[in-house]
Amino acid sequence: MSLRNCLRKTHLQKTHRAVVNNFFQCRFYAASAKPATPAQKPTVQPKSSCPADTVLPGLNYLKNQPPVLALPDEEYPPWLWTVLLPKELEDDGPGGRKERMERRKENKQRIRERNFMSTQ
Amino acid sequence: MSKTAKAKDQVVRLLISAGKAAPTPPVGPALGARGVKSMDFCKEFNARTAHIESGVPTPTLITIRPDRTFSFITKTPPTSYLLKKVAGIDKGPAKPGHEILATISLKHVHEIAKIKATDDHMSHLSLENIARMVVGTARTVGIQVVP
Repeated sequence: MSLRNCLRKTHLQKTHRAVVNNFFQCRFYAASAKPATPAQKPTVQPKSSCPADTVLPGLNYLKNQPPVLALPDEEYPPWLWTVLLPKELEDDGPGGRKERMERRKENKQRIRERNFMSTQ
Repeated sequence: MSKTAKAKDQVVRLLISAGKAAPTPPVGPALGARGVKSMDFCKEFNARTAHIESGVPTPTLITIRPDRTFSFITKTPPTSYLLKKVAGIDKGPAKPGHEILATISLKHVHEIAKIKATDDHMSHLSLENIARMVVGTARTVGIQVVP
């Protein structure tokens, strides 16, 4: 009996709930709309340790080929600067490629750990 | 990787210096054992690699048909060779993956990837993926890649 009394909501709790629900049913007008910025990957500023017009030795392996020179940073494709970072896969949803790749990665890691533990 | 069945083509993979075929140890026994006249192969190989600088290791895939005629394909130099040339090192590390012998820029990687992309067996890969493969190879050769 007393337990049920405890579980029954007090008047204060009910009014609070009503206020909160009402709050979410009210409409608000934003004071100022934020400029809609699409979610951008952090743009990597190309800043190569290799200045333009450096000779790249050994890459002119054909006869009578002029020496290969490094170009200025801007002339290289943007993906080049992210090649050292792990590859970011697009989120395809539940059955998508990203989930499959991550699952394979986890499985491989699990096998590696299991093999290692079997040697311990 | 040679197959032993008589009716099938045999495939021989060799790494030969461009323009310098016909040394007995690598080429001679490998082909002679399968019934191919090594002099014929060497002449044709040297003719086909005449446009390549002498001495550059060239992977070749030789297909030997049951009637002892052959055909071969040449590919771009090995990535590890190109990396070592670009970095200026001669030999790889004693412990691959644990030592760093030289440093390379991403621009070098891009140029190497461009060379490798001309290969037939890389034709389905994007240049970005080939560049990632080159970076992976650089790790085993003891070369650090920096932007």
